[in-house]
Amino acid sequence: MRIRCPHCGERDNGEFSYLGDAAPVRPEGLDASAAAMHDYVYLRDNPAGTIRELWYHAAGCRSWLVVTRDTRTHAIESVEPARDVARARRSGEAA
Amino acid sequence: MSEAMTSLWQPRGAWEGVARIGRSGADAGPAGVRLTLREGFGLATLIVAEGKEADLQTALADRFGPSLPEAGTAILKGETGLVWSAPGQWLAVAPSPRDLRDLPETLRGIASVTEQSDSRALVRISGPQARAMLAKGVAIDLHPRAFGPGRVAVTSIAHIGVQFWQRDAGPTYDLTVARSFAGSLWRWLEHAAAEFGYEVAASTKDLIAIG
Repeated sequence: MRIRCPHCGERDNGEFSYLGDAAPVRPEGLDASAAAMHDYVYLRDNPAGTIRELWYHAAGCRSWLVVTRDTRTHAIESVEPARDVARARRSGEAA
Repeated sequence: MSEAMTSLWQPRGAWEGVARIGRSGADAGPAGVRLTLREGFGLATLIVAEGKEADLQTALADRFGPSLPEAGTAILKGETGLVWSAPGQWLAVAPSPRDLRDLPETLRGIASVTEQSDSRALVRISGPQARAMLAKGVAIDLHPRAFGPGRVAVTSIAHIGVQFWQRDAGPTYDLTVARSFAGSLWRWLEHAAAEFGYEVAASTKDLIAIG
């Protein structure tokens, strides 16, 4: 499997480390209920199909990336810098 | 006592005791690869502060030219230039560490500057088989169509993190590795270059004393 890093170009997946699902967003600290925290820390979907997940380009530009991948075929649809994704989410919340 | 101290703290080239000057490997015909051990150069990492790219560009324009290199590229003039390392991050390259000494002050509030001159080992790879040799170690297309002069890659060779950039169409590459990994990387270089025959040269003889 090769991942097209938006900064470095196409690279072997050995250059990346895998974190997991990019969807969970950490609930607001002390206000969060135990159930919400439990959900955030432990509960994950396991879709047969498209998933957005976090990869870290450790042996390259050391950027966190959000990779949209089909779990059935490993076909990668898009790769975005995680920083851009987080910013877009934050500005979406603010709006 | 002062004599003992002097002998303990001798400056030491990064390749010292690792690389042997001279011709090695396959010995039919001229050497296919030339490895030049670089010493005494200046290197510094620049990490731009949030939203300060334009200021950084202006502050560096006199020294390194009007624009910051984009992702995967380097802008070099002789031994001076900027090499992209990561988003918002570049390596400043100069003939001597002295040339970069003012950067922390010049870039105050714009970028953080980390001196790297002694923390990286640098080898220049040239010769007719330089590309063929490097291609054995990296999972990157080095064909001139895909990777030419002014291109940079941050990747790994034999599980060792490296950064290299192509200087000219020769091709000539400059390759840096964390200094403590110089010995391990050298082992790979020797093996990879052996089939082509290789010549190891010191760029500054006064700094390297190799047996």
